[in-house]
Amino acid sequence: MLQKPSAGVPDRDSGDHKENKMPKGGTYRILLGKMGLDAHDNGIVIIAKWLADAGFEVVYAGIYNTPESLLQSALQEGVDAIGCSFLGGEHLFYVRKLTELLRTRQMNRIKLIVGGVIPPEDVDALKGLGVGCIFTPGTMRDTVIEQLTDYLKKSE
Amino acid sequence: MNPSKTKTTPSTYLEGERLPHFKSLSGREYKEVYTSEDVRGELELPGVYPFTRGIHKDMYRGRLWTRRQQSGYRSGKESNERIKYLLSVGQTGINMDPDLPTHLALDPDNPLAQGDVGLQGSSLVIYEDMVDLYRDIPLDRVSNTMIVEAPTSAVIIAQYLLLARERGTPWKNLIGTIMNCPLSQFVGPTFQSITTFFPVEHAVKIALDVMEYMIQHSPKWNIVNINAYNIRETGVNAVQEAAFSLALAQDYVRGLVERGLAVDTFAPRIGFFSAVHMDVFEEIAKLRAMRRIWARIMKEKFKAQNERSMWFRTACQTSALPLTAQEPLNNIVRAGIQTLAAVLAGVQSIHTTGYDEAYSLPTEESHKLSIRTQQIVAYETGVTKSVDPLGGSYLVERLTDELESEIWELLNVIEDRGGFVQCFLDRWVEDQITEMRYQMGDDMNSGQQPIVGVNLFRDASDSTEIRIFRHSDQWQQQRIKEIIDHKKNRAQEPVKRALDALERQTRKKPQENCIEPIMKAVEARSTVGEIMDAIRKAIDFKRPGM
Repeated sequence: MLQKPSAGVPDRDSGDHKENKMPKGGTYRILLGKMGLDAHDNGIVIIAKWLADAGFEVVYAGIYNTPESLLQSALQEGVDAIGCSFLGGEHLFYVRKLTELLRTRQMNRIKLIVGGVIPPEDVDALKGLGVGCIFTPGTMRDTVIEQLTDYLKKSE
Repeated sequence: MNPSKTKTTPSTYLEGERLPHFKSLSGREYKEVYTSEDVRGELELPGVYPFTRGIHKDMYRGRLWTRRQQSGYRSGKESNERIKYLLSVGQTGINMDPDLPTHLALDPDNPLAQGDVGLQGSSLVIYEDMVDLYRDIPLDRVSNTMIVEAPTSAVIIAQYLLLARERGTPWKNLIGTIMNCPLSQFVGPTFQSITTFFPVEHAVKIALDVMEYMIQHSPKWNIVNINAYNIRETGVNAVQEAAFSLALAQDYVRGLVERGLAVDTFAPRIGFFSAVHMDVFEEIAKLRAMRRIWARIMKEKFKAQNERSMWFRTACQTSALPLTAQEPLNNIVRAGIQTLAAVLAGVQSIHTTGYDEAYSLPTEESHKLSIRTQQIVAYETGVTKSVDPLGGSYLVERLTDELESEIWELLNVIEDRGGFVQCFLDRWVEDQITEMRYQMGDDMNSGQQPIVGVNLFRDASDSTEIRIFRHSDQWQQQRIKEIIDHKKNRAQEPVKRALDALERQTRKKPQENCIEPIMKAVEARSTVGEIMDAIRKAIDFKRPGM
């Protein structure tokens, strides 16, 4: 199930790509979007599709979000998690802002995951900020779904 | 290409190693062997219409391709240092990339820009930035590509022309390129990325303004570069890359013809920027087919007389899509092979993508390695010593013919739908891209598209150590403050006058060329964001935060 809170991108939900052996993502609801001005969205568009096919309820917020607007959408949509993707080196800047907002508004029940071009040496810093899963390029579909599902289960 | 049901790991011991399939990257089946039955007729010579074998008779014997690595970070000052470094190790042209806020015509002090200032390129906001950026670089001797799309291209070109004037370099002697294409330049033609901060129709109008102005004042300047590379990097295949970019180029040709310009006055100054992906022969065939098609379009459809108008001149970048975060040193090999393919295809300039691309902007070390890769291909391999060394290969000629007919077919579909810009506005392009992205994900996941170190031969114990390029938050804050101070401390009256004049012209005479009023606004020390906001207001377009 793929929903759009705003003018978002992928709404093709053809069943062609589904496979039987895919692990099930349960019924978690997740908001996916990019913050800042970087518009490289190949990865997050594919992830949105994979998660939706695996049974997640995916709300796709598209690109050009601010931490505030993403948080607003997360609240409105009542999601369990927010997933953000980065490419140009802006990940620490925006994740700091987003986690700060989550904390000050006492919304810590919303989990945070990150994907994209993340240098290995920043992984610990992101985890320290509270990011639960980090998926860098080349992560296989089943790995994404399993790790994410495990993480969300554990966090319940 | 359907995703396979089972992932096959080659068993090297019992059965011998085999490929999972014999399809090309774009899904065409390679035959076991190609013979004389597969090719037709005689080949024309290089430098002869329709230029399948190259646009020049002597190609790299006469002159090697331009080595042009993309650079740009932080401010003009820092980027200038990197440019000088690259020139000192053997780069032969400049490829200058502004940062994202500049691309989207937002000032650094715009709240939306705060995290992206100087990150993926250089922050070029005011005239002084241009002065810093090209300090000590002769604008009439070093060919300079500016990677920026309309509408921002109008401000950047205005800054550049003013710089030339100040230095006493005649405009007619300027050599270089402004990418200028609002549909393909940013991250390829994805809908939301391009339409959020400026309306596409008006961006196309401004792109045509830049082209028209430069043709009239700076005839050696390249007025537009269709970024087929960024189109490809959205995940579409070789045929789509070619058809989309050729269709888009036709839209610009039509636009300039409608303005009353004769085709031979501007067509030689239209260029392309293509991708070279991993499938060596398919990519070579694609570029050969594009040369043939462009020549025919220009000659038969637009009635060009000058052969230069029929030249498909293309810069290339080795595709970053197949580069992996896993075992990044493997990317050096990939980029090396892609560079070789670009040379075998006879392109005009090359950017070899850095092996650290999957981690960060290139470090100085990785930049140098890219240049060295090209120098090794140029000077050590011998592939440059004869023109079109693959010409006459049964396989390559057959693929060139096949790709040509498929590209024509798709071109016709786009033309029937009203051209590329119309297809983009109708979201037809978006649908094509989305479908191909999903397939790209599936092909990676299923192993249909083998990627060594990722879905094949993956080494779970691989822990990457890589020196990466680091950004500084502190620098961003300083830069934002610099621009705020600039806005505070300049004489305000001339700024207001110039911006009002620009807004008035845009509102009252929407057809008029906007370059001169923009130049006046730059001279008055307006910023890129202020100038484009004046136009946004005039056309009643509200960008986020306005």
